[in-house]
Amino acid sequence: MEKREGHDNKYGMVIDLDKCTGCGTCMVACAAENNVTVRADESDKERSIAWMQLYKIDNGRPFPDTEVCYFPRPCMHCDEDGRGGHHSPCVSVCVATATELDPHTGIVSQIYARCIGCRYCQAACPYHARYFNWWDGYSSFKPFSKGMERSLSPEVSPRMRGVIEKCTFCHHRLMRAKTKAYAENRRDLREYEYITACTEACPARAITFGDLNNPDHMVSRLIKNKNTFRLLEKLNTQPKVYYISSKEWVRKLADNYLPDQIKPVSGNDI
Amino acid sequence: MGSDKKKFTELLSVNRRNFIKFAIGGAVGTGLSPLPWKLIDDTAIFTQNLPWVPVPETGKFTKVRSHCTLCPGACGIEVRKVGDRAVKIEGRTDHPVNPGGLCPLGMGGLQLLYNENIRCKSPLKRVGSRSTGEFEPLSWDEALRALTHQILELRSNGKAGSIVAIDGYNSGSTVSLMIKRFMKAIGSNNYIRLPSMEGETAAVSKLMYGSDTPVAYDLENSDFILSFGCGLLEGWGAPGRLLNTWGLWRSAENRENATIYQVEPRASNTASKADKWIPARPGTETALALGIANVIIRENLYNKTYVENCTAGFFEHEAEGIKQRGFRDIIVENYNPDRVSEITGIGPDMIISTARAFAGAKTPIAICGKGKGTLNGDINEFMAVHALNALTGNINRPGGVLIGARPPLSELPAPEVDEIASESLKKPGLTLGNAVLKEYSSQTSAIAESILKGDGQEVDTLLVFSSNPAFTIPDGGDFYQSLAKIPFIVSFSPYLDETAMMADLILPDHTYLEKIDDMECPSLQYSFYGMTQPAVAPLYDTRNTGDVIIRLAEMIGGTTANSFPFKTLEEAIKSRVQGLFDCKEGSGKYNPSDTPSKFISAGTGVTPDFKDFKGMWKQLKNGGFWYNPLSHIKNNADIFNAPESKFEFMSSRLKSLIEASTAKPASDTLEEPLYMPHFRGSEKSDEGYPLMMIPYEMINLSSGWLPNPPYLNKSLFDSQLKGDDSFVEINPETALAYKLKEGDKIQVTSAKGSASVRVHLFDGAMPGVVFMPMGFGHMAYDDFSFGKGCNPNRLMGANIDPLSGQPAWWYTPVKISKAI
Amino acid sequence: MDSALIPEGTKRCSAPAFFLWTLPWLLLLACGGVSALLCLIFGLNQTNMSNIFAFALWIVADLAVIALGAGAFFTGFLTYIIGKKELKDIINVAVIIGFICYSGAMGMLGIDIGQPVRGWFIFWHANIHSMLVEVSFCITCYLCVLTIEYIPIIFENKKLNTVREFHLFGHNLHHIMAIFAATGTFLSFFHQGSLGGMFGVMYARPFAARYGFYIWPWTFFLFILSAIAAGPCFTILCTKLTEKITRKKLVPDKAIDLLAKISGFLLALYIILKIADTAGWIYGVIPQAGQRLMDFYREGPYGIWMLICEIGLFGIIPAILLLTPSLRKNRLCLIIASLMNCAGIVLNRFVFVIVTLAIPVMPFERFWSYLPTWQEWAIALAVIGYGFLLFSLSYRYLPVFPKERELNPY
Repeated sequence: MEKREGHDNKYGMVIDLDKCTGCGTCMVACAAENNVTVRADESDKERSIAWMQLYKIDNGRPFPDTEVCYFPRPCMHCDEDGRGGHHSPCVSVCVATATELDPHTGIVSQIYARCIGCRYCQAACPYHARYFNWWDGYSSFKPFSKGMERSLSPEVSPRMRGVIEKCTFCHHRLMRAKTKAYAENRRDLREYEYITACTEACPARAITFGDLNNPDHMVSRLIKNKNTFRLLEKLNTQPKVYYISSKEWVRKLADNYLPDQIKPVSGNDI
Repeated sequence: MGSDKKKFTELLSVNRRNFIKFAIGGAVGTGLSPLPWKLIDDTAIFTQNLPWVPVPETGKFTKVRSHCTLCPGACGIEVRKVGDRAVKIEGRTDHPVNPGGLCPLGMGGLQLLYNENIRCKSPLKRVGSRSTGEFEPLSWDEALRALTHQILELRSNGKAGSIVAIDGYNSGSTVSLMIKRFMKAIGSNNYIRLPSMEGETAAVSKLMYGSDTPVAYDLENSDFILSFGCGLLEGWGAPGRLLNTWGLWRSAENRENATIYQVEPRASNTASKADKWIPARPGTETALALGIANVIIRENLYNKTYVENCTAGFFEHEAEGIKQRGFRDIIVENYNPDRVSEITGIGPDMIISTARAFAGAKTPIAICGKGKGTLNGDINEFMAVHALNALTGNINRPGGVLIGARPPLSELPAPEVDEIASESLKKPGLTLGNAVLKEYSSQTSAIAESILKGDGQEVDTLLVFSSNPAFTIPDGGDFYQSLAKIPFIVSFSPYLDETAMMADLILPDHTYLEKIDDMECPSLQYSFYGMTQPAVAPLYDTRNTGDVIIRLAEMIGGTTANSFPFKTLEEAIKSRVQGLFDCKEGSGKYNPSDTPSKFISAGTGVTPDFKDFKGMWKQLKNGGFWYNPLSHIKNNADIFNAPESKFEFMSSRLKSLIEASTAKPASDTLEEPLYMPHFRGSEKSDEGYPLMMIPYEMINLSSGWLPNPPYLNKSLFDSQLKGDDSFVEINPETALAYKLKEGDKIQVTSAKGSASVRVHLFDGAMPGVVFMPMGFGHMAYDDFSFGKGCNPNRLMGANIDPLSGQPAWWYTPVKISKAI
Repeated sequence: MDSALIPEGTKRCSAPAFFLWTLPWLLLLACGGVSALLCLIFGLNQTNMSNIFAFALWIVADLAVIALGAGAFFTGFLTYIIGKKELKDIINVAVIIGFICYSGAMGMLGIDIGQPVRGWFIFWHANIHSMLVEVSFCITCYLCVLTIEYIPIIFENKKLNTVREFHLFGHNLHHIMAIFAATGTFLSFFHQGSLGGMFGVMYARPFAARYGFYIWPWTFFLFILSAIAAGPCFTILCTKLTEKITRKKLVPDKAIDLLAKISGFLLALYIILKIADTAGWIYGVIPQAGQRLMDFYREGPYGIWMLICEIGLFGIIPAILLLTPSLRKNRLCLIIASLMNCAGIVLNRFVFVIVTLAIPVMPFERFWSYLPTWQEWAIALAVIGYGFLLFSLSYRYLPVFPKERELNPY
């Protein structure tokens, strides 16, 4: 394939929080798709692994005006600062070049076999999207090994202990889709030909995935919605995961604001 | 020569100088050689290929289509396989119920297949004492012989009626029919289904609509949904359908979003995502529904044409020569917003505005069945809610309440009954002492009642199918205790669940991914029939329970064997499917642009697409489905033309049931007949138990028979489960009154039992109520479930629903104290 | 017993007494060894580190000892490059302390990474944009330099010095020490700086992020400055502790006083710049991220008092003490000032490591807390045990203090 400069494709995700029901299927689908390990005590949230993590938020108002909402949080696949400033927060700090921003897809990869486990990237990531393997997920006395390793997918390599892992936008699915397209003599993928496991699994169809560089793709249209925002946008991490919410309080919780920094969205329409 | 020799010996002698030279030289030499670098590299390569980190075997990628039978929701699944291994379950995009998505439980299903710690790998017989889990494997022949012997002996002693079967298979499935038929053939009336809202839905359909098939709701075409505690996003009905529909309702492109009002005491996902949350006091939903009815009637917002033509009991009327007040007058008199506001805690304005919004909508539906609907419902509340539907007249039309129709499957030939059996069948089955609605409600609790209270009804042998009542019955542990007193328990569970641990004999079924099975989905607004096929070959020495029953019948012989004129379950299913083909209706294909709800709103049926039976069978057998979108839309005249088949605000059928009942529920002080929806409030004084405990269900926590697949544990918050402690949600205000902080350990005590939990302060919890998650507290299974949290069922069952006699699990008075 | 090894003309305690003295340190080392083995065999689950506290006690300890060990390069710089001859009396101590700190830190780092065997990937697959790569390169090289600086001191041992090669080697090294001092200074400058840079570049963590000059955030320069301000004080403290324990005067007051004065001056400079940096952070970085200073201290045990302590109690006060000649010459006052100075730098490193990670960035994320396990403590304390042991051995067998004989005639 001939190499071009800049992002050929810029894969991104739009999560509609009005549609999201907080069911957690995305988390389960992600774990099942990507051979994520499970521990007997998954309530140890500081050490458990969830590439796609669900955050429960509420509007902080007393009964009966309380409302809850959910933020599904995959890796944001932060991008370069368009102004030539900095790189994704994690990519620039990795000592062993074990995580890279793919210029052709915009996907932030993680090379498990090269990661030395220094965890600097974890410290640099404000989204807590990076997970360290504190345990051997599979050694013979682990509950996860009791037959459940039979459902491991050969498309994603299981991780050894002591390395960082994170959401890869189901990169293997991109490979799968590309292989199919090339076999059919196509260079470019059709919309939805490559989607992540969470996108596919969401029963409420709250997640849309596609190429942000392609104006015809649904994601490109959705990010023009007035109610679209990103997490911690002010830090200029350039996430490629967008959210939509018609609720002011939800949008406000996506970033830190000083009183004069809040710009209310007028109207709830596109 | 001499000096050379000297040099040589000098070189060899280990003096200090030489040693140092040698050491330095050696170090430099080794450093320059590839050896250390190679070693460093090799060790790094070793860390990249640790022998215990599995390398998943690759192979040919295939997909197997099937259905998920973990709940009655009938989602289509596609199992992705590599070689012989199933590696992922995905939602089927070519399926009318869940076009693409799945619920988390369905998504985590492979861990219910492959987790060998929870599976029962061969027939087992108990060797240790009960619940210790000491079993010994035995062959299928031995196991079947043991059970046959037991049944034959009981039959010959005239005690066939003491054989009790609890059936947790999806209703309408062929296996379920076969269990029922088997029980009849051997001569027992004690075929018991587990409690679920299906029972009360069937009851309300019969009592008010006069329909033998349960009502269903065309939610997709509705523009206003008034939900009385239904966990629409927590797994209610068919979760795949509901979640998908929710996404459609909330999509930015959809201009005809449905408005959803949720009545619930807790800011659940449904309540929060709804347009309005109406936090009525728990147990007062009936009053709220009737208060809304009051406003609708007083403000003349009801559908007069419908009420006049298609309903009975609304106006003053004469019954048996006595003048009777109608529903209208009683409601107007007793349920004015001010009084209802006092009962429910909902302001009169809110009641009035809700009533106006509801009656003003084009296609409003009021729905009921709390939480996931996997437990029994409050029949009185169901009746009140359906009275609202009748007031708007949004019945039997798109976007309304539809009168269900079962898929037109062929009937199996009637079972044959021999003399012993027919003698035995004369004895009544187990019934809850004070149940009026025994026909409709689950009588599972009657087992515990008869054993623990010793009212003479005998249970000698208990057969448990596809269920785990020891964990799921909300009776404060009565059922679990009674198990210890049952002489012989046989479990057909593929898992070593709590009930199986108490069994004497386990005849393990396949899991749902290993077998052929079929299902209807009565909660859908159209008739549906789907089949599963084995996604993988059985992993262990297990057998399909359908086949096991046929084999058992064969071994028992005589009329029992004759009642099963098929060799396999598959044969039985095939004979039923014939009816689907013969009806010449319905389709087995789904086109995303033509959803069933579009067919319903358009009023056009699908084009039947089955050409011959062979082709149809092949398609179904490969995990196919049959559905008929217009099956529930009927001619109004057909339903409501005869006087006895009008919608009854005051149920004459219930009236006669009450009159026939030996144990009449206590009469009321209000002038309201018991056979119309009414609110009576709590009968018992709750002295000593100032708070209320309400169990709540989550879609990402399996609360029924199945253990939570480990992947789902990831999605639980640590304010729900932390270590081995589960949390109850309480309002900060209540916490303050009890001086409790986030995470404090407390003891929750009801009249039935006590549990130790932690406290999570949540503004969305109604003050004075303790919300306990349902699905924790397993005392079986493996590290992922065992001993994690507390099972609220152990505290419930102090209150009994007066009509069904079943535990009123939705309301438990409790007290709390800080654990020391 | 070991008198043949003891430096000429000095008095040391008896061998059994010395052995007893080393026992506690050996014990600490042993505990550390056990913990290290546990971590290497079972993995880092032996610690209380987590996905939130990716860096924890060990990194705090690393940063602290590396900063405190800065006395080595900076004294070397003053002695050999600037030519402050009076510091020759204390340079050996500085070098040994530096060696202890750096080797200890490297050991700890080796256990801290998830895949120690792959540690060399840092060099092989180096990502030149990473501050941590700069740190690793410089620390590794500087540890070599420190080793080279340490070797001649070892070769001055009475017994070893009799070996001609050792004597010559050591002697020649002495001659070119200025080159190593310069190299060390250069390397140290960059790794002290890049250690600070590590945190300053985390632009998505507003608590640590700083603006800066070219690719270097201000923390880069502040870390250098704070290290060279505190390092000499740590050298003074070690010397004073040795003097106290051995009940001898070992270093002339002149050398101590000079170091203290320079330290005080640098500390004052550092505090001024730190205040400027803090102001820039409060009025620049934080509001840009949509926050206020006090938002960082909403929850948990960490409060604004940390900032006040860092700048006021452990900054301005010791700077004044060290810059006032009369106070500086008071032994007690000098020790208190040095202690405060060192405490300030440890607090600073703690804040950058732990508080940065404890403070959530996403508004809906909660505040996390962390307590180390005994394994983490054992390894961190083992470095202290190792330091005492190596320093004691050096003192006993090597002529660490050139003026010892002169100051303590028989």
